[in-house]
Amino acid sequence: MPDLNGDRRLAWWLVWMYPPRFRRDVGLGLVDTLDDRMRARREAGAPRLAVWIRAIADTLRNASAEWIDLLRERGPATFERRTGRTMIDTLQQDVRYAIRTWTRRPGFALVAILTLAIGLGANTAMFSIVNAVLLRPLPYAHADRLVTVWATIKGNPRTLVLYKDYRELAKQNSSFDALGLWLSQSVNLTGVSEPQRLVGAFMTGSMFDVLGLRAERGRLFSEEESAPGTVKPYVIITHDFWQQRFEGKDSAIGSVLTLNGTPQTIVGVLAPVDSRSAPGNGWFLSADVFIPAAHFPSPRGLDSVAMIGVARLKAGITPATARADLDVIAGRLQTVDPLTNAGRGVDIEMAHDSIVGQSRTALFLLLASVGAVLLIACVNVSNLLLARAVDRQREIALRAALGASRLAVTRQLAVEAGLLAFVGAILGLLLGRWVLQALASLRPPRGFPIPQVIGLDPTVLLFTAAIALFVAVVCSLAPALRTSRPDLRDVLQAGFRRGSSAGGRTREVLVVVEVALSVALVAIAGLLIQSLLAVQKAPLGFDASNVFTLEFRLPQAKYRQPESIAAFFRQAIERVRAVPGVQSAALVRALPFSGNWGSTSYLVEGGTPPAKGSEPLTRYHIVTPDSFRTLRIPLLRGRDFTDRDDLPSPHVAIVNDTFACAVFPNEDPIGKRISTPDTGPLTIVGVVGDTKQLSATEPAQPQLYVAHYQFPLIFTALVARTSGPPMSVSNDVRKAIWSVDQDQPMWAVRSLEDTVGATLGQPVFLATLLGVFAGVALLLAAVGVYGVMSYAVAQRTHEIGIRLALGASDGRVLREVVARAAKLTAAAIFIGLAIAVAAGRFAATVLFGVRPSDPITLAAAAAVLAVVSLAACYLPARRASRVDPVIALAEE
Amino acid sequence: MPLRPVEFHILLALAADERHGYSILQEVAELTDGDLTLEPGTLYRALHRMLKDGWVVESGRRPAADVDDERRRYYRLTPLGRRVATAEADRLWRLLAVARRHRLLTRA
Repeated sequence: MPDLNGDRRLAWWLVWMYPPRFRRDVGLGLVDTLDDRMRARREAGAPRLAVWIRAIADTLRNASAEWIDLLRERGPATFERRTGRTMIDTLQQDVRYAIRTWTRRPGFALVAILTLAIGLGANTAMFSIVNAVLLRPLPYAHADRLVTVWATIKGNPRTLVLYKDYRELAKQNSSFDALGLWLSQSVNLTGVSEPQRLVGAFMTGSMFDVLGLRAERGRLFSEEESAPGTVKPYVIITHDFWQQRFEGKDSAIGSVLTLNGTPQTIVGVLAPVDSRSAPGNGWFLSADVFIPAAHFPSPRGLDSVAMIGVARLKAGITPATARADLDVIAGRLQTVDPLTNAGRGVDIEMAHDSIVGQSRTALFLLLASVGAVLLIACVNVSNLLLARAVDRQREIALRAALGASRLAVTRQLAVEAGLLAFVGAILGLLLGRWVLQALASLRPPRGFPIPQVIGLDPTVLLFTAAIALFVAVVCSLAPALRTSRPDLRDVLQAGFRRGSSAGGRTREVLVVVEVALSVALVAIAGLLIQSLLAVQKAPLGFDASNVFTLEFRLPQAKYRQPESIAAFFRQAIERVRAVPGVQSAALVRALPFSGNWGSTSYLVEGGTPPAKGSEPLTRYHIVTPDSFRTLRIPLLRGRDFTDRDDLPSPHVAIVNDTFACAVFPNEDPIGKRISTPDTGPLTIVGVVGDTKQLSATEPAQPQLYVAHYQFPLIFTALVARTSGPPMSVSNDVRKAIWSVDQDQPMWAVRSLEDTVGATLGQPVFLATLLGVFAGVALLLAAVGVYGVMSYAVAQRTHEIGIRLALGASDGRVLREVVARAAKLTAAAIFIGLAIAVAAGRFAATVLFGVRPSDPITLAAAAAVLAVVSLAACYLPARRASRVDPVIALAEE
Repeated sequence: MPLRPVEFHILLALAADERHGYSILQEVAELTDGDLTLEPGTLYRALHRMLKDGWVVESGRRPAADVDDERRRYYRLTPLGRRVATAEADRLWRLLAVARRHRLLTRA
């Protein structure tokens, strides 16, 4: 069905191109018929793009004819014979003329069309992505009123909302139609042939209302059925999960899934949402099962669990009004509950921004870059047309003298440019499709919400048509301005000698424009490549090579006591260490670069306690002994955790270098005591090097490590250093853990190197694309400079011939031509660098380790363009210096 | 004056039955053994002219909902349209007779 919608939408757009009267009379019928025809052709097996192109071609022909009829204010001659030249005739003549010129000089047409196709294709592809990511709404009802609700604390305006605060917010607010909380977490599915890890969304019943979701079978759970105390053992499954596991049978409703060790009854199947185009890969709908919030595994009850808040604003309530409302409630909570809420506020953000916000800069940068490539392409084609127009100047002047109107001349140029743009756009659409496929295979980075399916849709077609029109106008503008007002006398007096500097200035300006844009693109690409290199070189603090990882979560129902968890951990590690090929192994709560992390506030014993709500924060890691050796994190002072740091023994901690320097400057941190809300007092026994947890680009942070055996938590990850390729131990390691508990599912089974590499996605993606764009721009600019200088030389052949005959040395002629090009290039580079610096400021958020005005990058870009541009003018210059005076003068 | 081929074909397609747009396209393709494939835009430009000249009208009737999609617009010939079609057929027939006299016809 969605395909049909695409056809019909296109049909609506197409019919809009007809005159209003026509639309009123027969518009609806035409929409139906276009739709029918497209469907019939598609059912006959024609590809969608071909079908659309035929429909568009039909519309372009007939709609323009209908408009022309209307403008002439007479119906088409049905019974009278048409006499005289109608507009259609002239247009047809112009088109025929253009095609005749192309067949005579196929090289020109080929270069022009390919140039435009590259520019239009790149723009079509990039706009498809922007359209899908930034312009399309989220696939939920009232998507424009959906907001993300955040708790704000000092130093972080985007933290999760505590369940206890959610209850108050839901009760007291007057801004939302509905407010809900959700958090996704892996859940263990057991009691089936092979234990399996599912992605669960723990959520309040109100979430269904917030997003306007329905059950396709059975029912949803209510707010009451998800709240602590009244919670029911229910679970709702997605359409996909229903199809996979239950083959879409109705008997799924009422069957029981054992999740995290607790049996839960399936009460409904969620109706699928059209998430094909949804940014963020369907957001939270990528879960398999939806579980009432109160089942969230939390040792201290749901009230202290923080989740993601989502709300739907009431119609007519602005975000500002809602913020004011929430501020009042947050203030009230601070006074009622100062222990937990001091310094906590509430803020909202449009849900669409939360999902696509980070990639906006990158996308606009890419769109601006392809825009620049298109402009450069236009300049080249404009130059080609201009050169031709100047060649025809005498003919045009003669025609003008004989009474041809300026309009006729301009129209001829415009028709030719339009035709070039049209053919270029068709090729560009095919190219764009191919580019999109290539981009999809580039594996767009995490945090870069590219929808799974990016197709060419009517909006994209319309965009391409619009920029093709723009191209036609831009390409014909310069030549039309130049040639439609030729100075008759000058041109005719010039006799049979070809016009000297006609059009020369315009062409030079165009060349400056394209070289300047190329400089800017090359500079930006240089900055992005520099930051990619900087990211790759940034010290991580650990050695990711030859490390095998996997994650698992013990079911809470089975492992209730800290002792039983710790016992499992010890046994599992022992068995994994015994696996051949494993050198050392340990457990860490949050794998580096996995996206997991923790933080906590802390107090230094003996120091002055800071005000409530402004305690210092530190990253918080929980690890078993040997984790530092396994990850090759250097131990700077003191000792690692040992097996004797267990439940009954005094609690110990290890801090990183940044922590030690910041908290205990000029003191030995070993033996100092600190405390955190979760652990109570801890004695520092060691100092280790700094490590990166989330990305290579994050600044150094204080880090605090506590011992896993003293604070056993059910979720953890295994890291194992291997002597050979890390994945070679995969099966044996999993068997080793299954030998301790055969019901335990495991996931994220991969090498640490891959995990780290995946976070480089965005810099690689940006640098690759910009690199390609800059390369294309460079090529086009070189062609442009070459074309203009060749032409200038060819036009001056006569003059150069005289000068050579009068004794000028060929070296001097060569120098003169090159000097002219050098002057233009210098001006262009200057302008280009200014553009690059401005664009670099805009792009600062995607840069790392390099300033937007990095002098080396800018100088390199300038040098590249200087070399390319001088190389491009060298050939024509040499040709000029080799002019044979006899031949040149005989040309008269 | 001769009719445009497009218009004559539309008149022929509507001679027996009232039809909606896509059905006219199919009928024209069938009448000409697939030689003439009209595009929707071309059809509707002609239909629009013919509506204005009063040769065809939009039919108010709709077939039963289970037979066809109710949204479709149906067109039928007016008496004037029928006369135009007859006149054109006559004209062609007279031309055909001339051609036959000069043994220009290959078929009987």
